Amino acid sequence: MAPPAGRRVGDDFVDDSDSDVSITGLDDETSRAKAKGKGKAIDRNKKDKGKAKAKEQPYAWEASYSRSWDTVQEDERGRLEGAVQDWIARGRRRRLLAPAAAIRRTIIRHLVLVLDLSSAMLDRDMRPTRFDLMLQYAREFITEWFDQNPLGQIGVVGMRGGLGERIGEMSGNPQDVLKAISERHKLEPTGEPSLQNAIEMARASMSHLPTHSSREITIIFGSLTTCDPGNIHDTLDECLKDRIRISIVALAAEMKICRDLCAKTGGVFGVALNEGHFKDLLFELIPPPAQRAVARPGAQGANLAADLMIMGFPMRLPDTSPPSLCVCHSQMKSEGFLCPRCLAKVCDVPTDCDICGLMIVSSPHLARSYHHLFPVKPYAAVMSLEETPDPSKRCHGCSVAFRDTPATMLGAAGEGMSPLGRYRCPECQNDFCTECDVFVHDVVHCCPGCGK
Amino acid sequence: MDKPSHLSVVIDLSLTQWTLCAQSTNPPGITLQDFLSQLLAFLNAHIACKDENTLAVFGAFPGQSVMLYSSTGEVTTTTAESTDANTYRPFRTLDSTIMSSIAERLDSYDGMTEEAPIGLVGCLTKALCYINRTITTALSSSQGGEGAAASVDPRILVLSVSPDQSSTYIPIMNSIFSAQKLKVTIDVGKIFGAENVFLQQAAHLTGGAYVQVERADALLQYMMMSFLPAPAIRQLISVPTQDRVDFRAACFCHKRIVEIGFVCSVCLSIFCQPVPVCSTCRTKFPMKTLQRLRDARPLAAPPGNAPPRPPVQKNGTTTPARPG
Ligand SMILES: [Zn+2]
Ligand SMILES: [Zn+2]
Ligand SMILES: [Zn+2]
Ligand SMILES: [Zn+2]
Ligand SMILES: [Zn+2]
Ligand SMILES: [Zn+2]
Repeated sequence: MAPPAGRRVGDDFVDDSDSDVSITGLDDETSRAKAKGKGKAIDRNKKDKGKAKAKEQPYAWEASYSRSWDTVQEDERGRLEGAVQDWIARGRRRRLLAPAAAIRRTIIRHLVLVLDLSSAMLDRDMRPTRFDLMLQYAREFITEWFDQNPLGQIGVVGMRGGLGERIGEMSGNPQDVLKAISERHKLEPTGEPSLQNAIEMARASMSHLPTHSSREITIIFGSLTTCDPGNIHDTLDECLKDRIRISIVALAAEMKICRDLCAKTGGVFGVALNEGHFKDLLFELIPPPAQRAVARPGAQGANLAADLMIMGFPMRLPDTSPPSLCVCHSQMKSEGFLCPRCLAKVCDVPTDCDICGLMIVSSPHLARSYHHLFPVKPYAAVMSLEETPDPSKRCHGCSVAFRDTPATMLGAAGEGMSPLGRYRCPECQNDFCTECDVFVHDVVHCCPGCGK
Repeated sequence: MDKPSHLSVVIDLSLTQWTLCAQSTNPPGITLQDFLSQLLAFLNAHIACKDENTLAVFGAFPGQSVMLYSSTGEVTTTTAESTDANTYRPFRTLDSTIMSSIAERLDSYDGMTEEAPIGLVGCLTKALCYINRTITTALSSSQGGEGAAASVDPRILVLSVSPDQSSTYIPIMNSIFSAQKLKVTIDVGKIFGAENVFLQQAAHLTGGAYVQVERADALLQYMMMSFLPAPAIRQLISVPTQDRVDFRAACFCHKRIVEIGFVCSVCLSIFCQPVPVCSTCRTKFPMKTLQRLRDARPLAAPPGNAPPRPPVQKNGTTTPARPG
């Protein structure tokens, strides 16, 4: 058995590496680094990956036993207010920096998730193992991805024993995709991975797609080798021709071919330093990529053809309606959806009507992505009430009373925050509390005052 | 043990629609006065069910949305509290607060100018903000030691008399998705008027009940039977389910409710007819597609504002029968 990864570094200090004493030397060092970092470890990680590698964020296999609560700093009175304020302020700044104009996004996305199932995934440098962590994050990734890309489809391909293995067919139903990776014992890692075989398989499953949809491959890669039957650069050229975007999250180290695959196809490449960073890298791939301008000089014609599509919005029949045959499986069923053009009954949406070919989607499918198009304008922090003749006493959203006296803000953390806890909508001039400001912009996407 | 539950009620207070409702004979209508007295009985029943139950009432007035009452004391009135030995005190505060704040608002409408659409979206989002705030505070306080009001079972009841406002399609859908995220159930009681497409979708997507009240004079009965039990209890008893759910959407160009739409592949905006340029993201569509779509368009003239869907006659799927 390999020793738990966290202790390997400590082996140099003490011969009997089984005892916990071996960690102490390293522990001291990191705690000193943390005191210097003043709890901004997370922030720094995002800002400067190169620097982060140095001390605060060691690679997972050389990290000491870390206590996540250490990164939160109490203020001198032992309260967490400062840390929480800092967190909220960061969220606000990020929103203010975001461009106000609607960005063009590819909303109809097709993604093949390629999972490394080679024996390298049994490594324990990420707890409990790379394999288990990957499955857990993949599940969370799929749920979140469908939440943000309602009309998208995901397929799953595995790499093991030198082959590509189809694990889940392309599907628009999150439950189907989750079910495909739910049985752990069917996915036991073994053998060598083959990037070329897996990419070819993923490419084949997307070859029939219409031109206006985006095609992406996301690879979680734990190995440092690939065992290919041919020249992988030929595969790369084919992917370029098909306009497939490849993104790779590597768990071990950077490989030249991985970086090339991503850079040439316009994808993202990242090496995960530790568990948290792995999740960050993976989840950065969830938001729809802003579509690169269509009229890019030098590109072959229209890059991604924009088109007008005809869609039908169906009527859902209840479980209690008299059973009838569905057109997709010819089964007797009570529930189903009626095509608005030919009134044929189909089992599930979104789909194409088998009779008249109309694309059938339910309106919530489309509407889930509209908050990208019409975001709520950021609220302005109210610094003082001197210019307001008759300030409202309560939050316009939740009707909780505002505080009367300004709170003292803690240093730079309070930048962009209102000392009164008031944030004003530029459209309707109503005041909202901190909670509602966050909730309206991150969840509701609709201002309670102006209803827009 | 059953947990305390939170109920937010959104009342549609469009005077025009209530006047029409009171005049209606088939099906028999109900006046606003009768409605309010039945509603108060229902609200009293909710807070009587369990001591820790919480309640918030929002009024969707023409052009505005107001919180009328909340059991955590966000709304206070100036009316002198007369003591009545025969009434339970919380009932009395509830009744008088709601009635006085409604009367205060309604007096300001003169009835001469044309009525603005009701502030349904404002009410829904405010209810969600309120629930978000009460849940987060309840959670943080329960971490502080006393885990009393930790998990409330929040739900929103919309009592509607107005028709769909297709201009509010996107905000309503956004509210529905946030309700899903907060695990809030949305119930709908349609007291007067035609079926409400968006509210049907709201109830369906959040697992609530959409009840078309056929006999408005028996409204209290409907509310007691369908809306009083908390979502946790509803799994054990049989509450009315929805017959059909209409998944139609509203087009962005004329705010019409459409069943077949033309959708921009870049931003998914919906249009009721083929357009050369997307008005949302300024994408130009190829002429080829436009021509093809124009040719393929059904012969029928563009539909009017939110026409009722024709009853389905195919496959014997009309009027579903209730199981025994
Ligand atoms: Zn079928
Ligand atoms: Zn059809
Ligand atoms: Zn608020
Ligand atoms: Zn506003
Ligand atoms: Zn239109
Ligand atoms: Zn568009």
